[in-house]
Amino acid sequence: MSGISIDHIVSIIIFLAAILLFVSLFGQTVQPALTYQQNQAVATKCSDLLDTMLLNPGSPSNWGQENSIPTGFGVQDPEFTEYQLSAFSLMRLSSATGNLVEYDNLYYNELNSGFGASLLTPNAQALNYSTALTLLGINDTYGFQLTLTPDITVSIIENQACSPLNLSISATGTGFPFAGASINYCLILVTLAQTDAQYPFYTIQSGAVTTNPQGMAYVAFPSVTDANQVYAFIAYAHMDDIVGVGYHTRVSSTDQYVVPIVQDIASQEVALAHNYDLNNSLPNGSPLRYNATFVILTEDYTLSALSLGSSSSVTNITTPGNTSPTVFLPTYANGILIVTYQQENSTQGGVVMMPWGVNSLAFPVTFGGNPQHQEWVATDMRQVMVGNVAYQAKLSLWSTQETQVTS
Amino acid sequence: MMRTVEVLIVIIIMTGAFIATSFFAVLPLPRQVSPLNLNRLSLTTMEMLDSNHGLSQAAFDTNNSTLMAELQVALSASLPPNVLYNLTVYNVNSGQDGATLYNAQKSISNAKSLGITSDASSYLVASSNATFDVTPQKIGENNGGGGITLYILNCSDSNGWWITGYTSPSLAENVYQLLSPYFANIVMVQNTKQLAQILNGTALQGEAVKNAVIVNTCGEAVPIPSGYYASPGVGYDSASGSYARYSYNLGQRVLEYNWTWVSIVGYPLYYVSNTALFPNTQNTWGIYGMNLVGPAGLNAFLEGLDNQPYSYNDNWITADLSNPVYLSNEAINYCNYYGIYPSVYQSATRALPTSILNTYNLNVTTYVFNTALGGWNAGAVYRHNISVNGENQFQGGFFALGLTRTPDIRLTALGLLCDYQPRLYSSDYNSYDTSRLVVLQLGLVGGT
Repeated sequence: MSGISIDHIVSIIIFLAAILLFVSLFGQTVQPALTYQQNQAVATKCSDLLDTMLLNPGSPSNWGQENSIPTGFGVQDPEFTEYQLSAFSLMRLSSATGNLVEYDNLYYNELNSGFGASLLTPNAQALNYSTALTLLGINDTYGFQLTLTPDITVSIIENQACSPLNLSISATGTGFPFAGASINYCLILVTLAQTDAQYPFYTIQSGAVTTNPQGMAYVAFPSVTDANQVYAFIAYAHMDDIVGVGYHTRVSSTDQYVVPIVQDIASQEVALAHNYDLNNSLPNGSPLRYNATFVILTEDYTLSALSLGSSSSVTNITTPGNTSPTVFLPTYANGILIVTYQQENSTQGGVVMMPWGVNSLAFPVTFGGNPQHQEWVATDMRQVMVGNVAYQAKLSLWSTQETQVTS
Repeated sequence: MMRTVEVLIVIIIMTGAFIATSFFAVLPLPRQVSPLNLNRLSLTTMEMLDSNHGLSQAAFDTNNSTLMAELQVALSASLPPNVLYNLTVYNVNSGQDGATLYNAQKSISNAKSLGITSDASSYLVASSNATFDVTPQKIGENNGGGGITLYILNCSDSNGWWITGYTSPSLAENVYQLLSPYFANIVMVQNTKQLAQILNGTALQGEAVKNAVIVNTCGEAVPIPSGYYASPGVGYDSASGSYARYSYNLGQRVLEYNWTWVSIVGYPLYYVSNTALFPNTQNTWGIYGMNLVGPAGLNAFLEGLDNQPYSYNDNWITADLSNPVYLSNEAINYCNYYGIYPSVYQSATRALPTSILNTYNLNVTTYVFNTALGGWNAGAVYRHNISVNGENQFQGGFFALGLTRTPDIRLTALGLLCDYQPRLYSSDYNSYDTSRLVVLQLGLVGGT
């Protein structure tokens, strides 16, 4: 073999090795850039998609007040502009975090934030995640999760049960205590029936306090002298057009209670079921005598009752195993259905509340898929109003396309 | 050995290329790949703070430390904890040269620096003490006069034609609503007697008769007064058995008083109408109180307008255009200016030929619709040329909308406004202390 041939062979081997090495090196440089490019596209899409959801009411624009599935997805309040959202469109979203509750062979989505207040809406009438993806035109390309969290968290703790009843109210923003905020509160004191012919009823005490620099406020009610006094307490913290809502209840019967269930959103029909009828949990239970009232919030943060049918309140008995009585809410105005209840032949009772519109008790909303375990998730947020309550709307978006480049 | 050296040289070159590429291919910071849209967050935060005008109140009371402290708490509470902010309130003023000046009034922030990346939005708030409105200029007042009179023919003793679906009174009311902001004097001509009065040059309510605009809401029909204006030789052509002579007389009055005659739909002056004068005559379509004049009415009117001798001419001069006609660019522009939005395309079955410009010494001062192929104008304002001491002037005008029924009265208003072009004087948003500009700049913690 001549020296020229060896020279050729050595040079070709070195050349090929060098080519392979440089292809690898250039690939390593380019690949992160492509990943960044892909991720940036997702982030841009996230911002656009969030505005698409929040700045259009969907089609039909009042789909939140109907039973039909919309042909366009959006949660803006059709009666407003900008980032004002419809409390009823949000109510029709199938919650990603809530439980499914079975009642009368049908399933209901449950939203609650502790005992005393819940919102159950029919699963069959809810807009589910896959339909929303299709309506937004991003099925098979993106996944998302839309969360709406109240800007102000108002939490209430009972410090002393009676003589006087002492409550501490904490109002905190997402980044700072809500210091110096006005707190308007309503104490709903329930009087349980003394005879079988009576129904429990309530009276309301209203007042206002101001939070200290730590965002705390304290209220005392000397008139509450019974440690078993049933009550519900609702507090509205507000300052500079930002409003937050919190509530607290104390009942003497957490075993058997009334559960308001929205049967039909369009006709505003609400069943008042016995909790033993949910999920076929227990076969026997006591009939519950109840008194239902629908209240709306007035501009001065007091509660005003609207009539339910012919009178301001509806009294009846709900018995487990039997068809539950229903009430028809009088309006699409945001409000709260307050139900005081009492077991028959007993002094055990309580109070439950159902917000009509998620903002009435500042319920958070989570809708969509699960962003956990996704390769890369973009997020964006806006400040929005739902009714008069300030929320933060956050969208998490990820790509579901297989062509996504990963680093 | 030579080949190996060459390959090594190639490797050196490729290494150099790689180093150069790596040096210039700088990847963005991870936070820049998916930045929080601070611009939108900032805007929505201010909108939320002003949902019940709380931000506006604070912006106009920056010396109120309580309000500003509440604003700061609200900002801090509503924004995520990793977001830094700087909110500045500017007073909006006008400089001597009319330029807008912004003077910083107050600034609140939760950090000395907003980091390396920040974004801002601005939000203009108005004082609750200020009212912003628009005042239209009255047509004709800029010439030092008392303004031009608008006569609306709303003659109770006349019938209309080609105003299907409307009545003359309803159209008259619509004309009034659309044009009342722009005319100093608007007079409803309630009957043909009052029409005769203004034809005689006599004011009905002390208004200026000369230079007026007369809108005929009877469509293709024109009210004719009984008596003198319907008499032979004045309004009636005995030789032809036609009331075309009345149209000729009208044309002469339009020239004499420098009026602008407005025909809102169809063939202008095609019928004359007076329910007392023609109780037993119908317009050949069963509408009594009308008399058919035909094309001779318009020809006679144009003769009168050009002060030509009267001659009976019943030649049909308009065209039925097969294609729709479109609003001119000028008209579309004024649609936006005056906030009148009729459909941009219309059907024209009585478009006038451009040949009338030469025949009757006319000039088009406003094209409401683009001239159609073949030289047809479906809607235009014509002005008659005269020469005074060797100087060309306009005297007498004619606005014809040769569209098919039913009339869109907004086109009439639009055409007149396009021609007279009254200005709209809006309140000065830069007047002292009427507006404040609030700028909210947001940044992220950790960007320093």
